[in-house]
Formats: sequence, structure tokens, C-alpha cells
Amino acid sequence: MAQRPALTSRDHSIRIVIPWVVLTVIGWIVAAQIHLPIDQSVQGADQAKTLFIMTALAIPVFTGVVVLVLYSAIFFRRRAGEPLYDGPPVYGGARLQLTWIVVSFVLVLVLAVLGITTLVSSQAAQAVGASGRAIGAEAETGGAIKETNKELQVQVIAQQWYFTYRFPDYGGVETTHLELPVGVPVEFHVTSLDIVHSWWAYELGVKADANPGVDNQFHATPQRTGSFTVRCAELCGIWHGEMADTEGRVVSGSDFNSWIKQQQATFAEIGKSLPSYAPSYFPEPLTKGT
Amino acid sequence: MVGRLAWVVGSVVAVILVVVAFLGAFVLRAPGPLQGPTTNIHLETVAAVNQAVEWARPNDPHPDWVSYLPTTILRVPANATINVTIDQEDGATGLRNPFWGQVQGTDGNKMHVKYTDDNGNQQEADMTSIDPTRAAHTFAVPDLGVFVPLLGVSDNAAPGATNVITFTFHTKGKGIYHWQCFVPCAAGTVFGNGGPMQTLGYMAGQLIVE
Repeated sequence: MAQRPALTSRDHSIRIVIPWVVLTVIGWIVAAQIHLPIDQSVQGADQAKTLFIMTALAIPVFTGVVVLVLYSAIFFRRRAGEPLYDGPPVYGGARLQLTWIVVSFVLVLVLAVLGITTLVSSQAAQAVGASGRAIGAEAETGGAIKETNKELQVQVIAQQWYFTYRFPDYGGVETTHLELPVGVPVEFHVTSLDIVHSWWAYELGVKADANPGVDNQFHATPQRTGSFTVRCAELCGIWHGEMADTEGRVVSGSDFNSWIKQQQATFAEIGKSLPSYAPSYFPEPLTKGT
Repeated sequence: MVGRLAWVVGSVVAVILVVVAFLGAFVLRAPGPLQGPTTNIHLETVAAVNQAVEWARPNDPHPDWVSYLPTTILRVPANATINVTIDQEDGATGLRNPFWGQVQGTDGNKMHVKYTDDNGNQQEADMTSIDPTRAAHTFAVPDLGVFVPLLGVSDNAAPGATNVITFTFHTKGKGIYHWQCFVPCAAGTVFGNGGPMQTLGYMAGQLIVE
């Protein structure tokens, strides 16, 4: 029986590159099908886009490593009867090493810059109340409130086991649910009255720790009307799993104005007993219990 | 020929009757009006289990814990009217969030309270809110939007005095809804939210709508 000729480096390269390319393309197609439903705010959409790009860059690295490992395990394994010995040491290969280092460096740098710019750009744009970057081109137009050209201030107050909301721009009225006007930048101030919670509005793509005595700030600009769910993302006691609200809504500016007026009327009575609006609270009295 | 025609017509009529019967049954099985049966719930709140007046629990493992009695697992029908009476025997602790001092989600967004005022006189009134500093507990079912603050017994009331709070709310579909107290009333625990606040059977409960 004729002995098969030994494979050259080129043969091995071809055998590795073909499945690598095929698996990478399959990975990209699969990744493109994944839709993160966090695009109800400009920031959430940016995060989804950034995550997709990072995933797309990571896929060829992942498939490349997997193909190399599997190929080596299959084709360079010790056959039955072969002596057990270490492979010959490899010297040189400066071009390969340089390529490997440069590609890795560039890839990591791109990922870092991409992540940091996404984070910084959304925060910076919102901090100055700029409407150009913050309000997406496809955002629906709201009512009167969008003309204020400033961020809507919303305080999120966590307590075992419910989130309430205060609106300092509207007399400090406190509400049991959250409605936001579409297209208006919002500055959230998240705090807690007891222990550590985490306010997570999934569809808005925002999550922030709620710590007692801390004013945790972040920004979001709702760009699409609809409902969103709020839940606690920090284990906080027996009813942590129940600390959720499915009645969050992004509405038009005019609808928001109607809603906030209704809330002011509904909670006018208890409003007189609320403390003045503050970044955080250490509410009194507690005549016993602590 | 006639026999065959009769068989065809009869079959068509039978099919139509089956379809009508199916649709009729479907319509009749649709959810009824929101106002269903009426259920009464009677609870007692005590500063410590061993101070129970109406529902003693002599073998309770935590006799010094604040608690609702006799149970915090409440079974009620769906789409029903629930009349609640709470004999509130505990003193005021105060709400950590004064916002919960307003009655929400009950009929008329109010409750009826029989209580002893600071002068020791018996009073009775419909209330839509209370002074948050005077709250002893709350009966809150957040997923039904029900939040009821319970007025604490006045320091000037006679020993053993009870505030009686009554209100009505409505259940929706079947499910298990948690209910809780928003007053940090667990004396001696971190932030007043430990022990009985974190344990089913004391200040944590379930409203099982079936």
C-alpha cells in the first residue's frame, strides 16, 4: 500500500482556515439574529449596538481558538504504538509572533475604545442637556414638555419592597409607577430608604444601584413609546422577587403632562407630609424598630 | 335520492349545531363581571405574638415578634369583593416613607377607623390618609395597588385599646399576590426590616386568589 505524502504547513493552514471562516460566518449570522430588547432609550440602543460589534469581533477569535485546538487534538495526537516524546522546540517565527501581538493589541484597543466612547458619549451628551445627540433621529415627537430643552429630573426611591418616584420639577410629587415623555432626556437619581437595591428598567437599558444615603445618577432618553418593566436586581429580602412593576410607560409629551397633573391631584394630600425633595433621605421618625 | 339529500341536510344541520354549541359554551365560559362574590377577612395586629387577644399562638417559636394574626396566608376568590377588618393593637412606629400614609386602591380610596384619640376619647371616621408618624403597620398588596396605613394605638389610650380599621378592595384574576407591611416594625432588627418582616406568618404574607 502506497504511503500518503506528509502534509505541508500550507495543507494544515488550508484545513484550519476553511472551517474557521465557515464557523465565523455562521457565528455572525447567529449573532445578527439576536435582538436585545433594550432599545427603548437612546442609551439602550447604543449599548445594544456596541454589544453587537463586540460580539462580532469576538466571534472570529473564539472560532479560531476552537478550530486550532480541535485540529491539533485530532491531527497531531499520538497514534497507537508511537513513542511518547515531546515535540521539537520552535525557534524564531518573529513575523508570526509580531502578527499575533499586533492583531491582539489592535483588537483589544478597538474594543476598549468602543466601550468607553459609548459610555462617555451618552453620559456627556445628557449631562449638558443637549438634544442633538441625546434625542435620536427616529425618536417620536412629544408634546409641550419636549420644548423645555432640559433634562427631566426623576428620583427613584427604593424601599423593601417597592420603587416609588419623585418629580422635583413638579412640586416633588411622589408616584407608585413611572411614566416618561418620549424624546426628553431624563436624569435619574437613584437612592434607597433602607438597604441596597438595584433599579433595573430592562427595556430602557438602564440599571443603577440604589444605596441608602447615596444619590446615584444616570441618564436615559426614551426614544419609543410603549411599556417597560422595572425590577430589583439586588437580592434584598423575602419579597425581592416580587419587587417589580410592569406598568412603566413611555408616552407622548402631552400624555405625560396629563398623567403628572393627575398624579399631583391624587397625591396632593399626602404630599403635604412628604419631606422636602433631597438627593437622599434618612427619614424620621422611627420611634422603635431600629 | 331523497334519502341521500336528507342525510346530507341532516349532517350539515348537525355540524352547525355542534359549532353553535361550541361557540355558545365558549362565550358562556368567558370571565364574568368584575364584581363577584364577597369575602370577609378578619385580622389582628399585635406588637408581640404572646400579646394576642383574639388568636393566641401559645407554641409560636417567636413569641416576641410583631405579627398579623391568625395567619398571613389569605385565600380569596378571583374577581371578588374583599371586606377587611383589622383589629390593630400595636402602637405607632412611623413610616419610613411617609408616602404610604395615603390610602390607595380601596373602595373610595378610603378606610373606616374606630380609634382612641390623644385625649382618650373614642372616635370614628372615614380616612383617606393618616399622619405618617402615627402608622403602626400597613396592609399593602402592591400588585393590586392596595396600600392601607394602619393607625397606631395612641399612647393615651387605655391598656388593651384597639383601633378597628375596615376597608374594601377587589381582587382580579387568579394568582398568588404577596402582601406586606411598609412600616419597619421589627423591633431589634437591622433597619427594623429583619425577623418578622422577612418571615411568612408574621409581617409577610400571601394573598392566594383562586
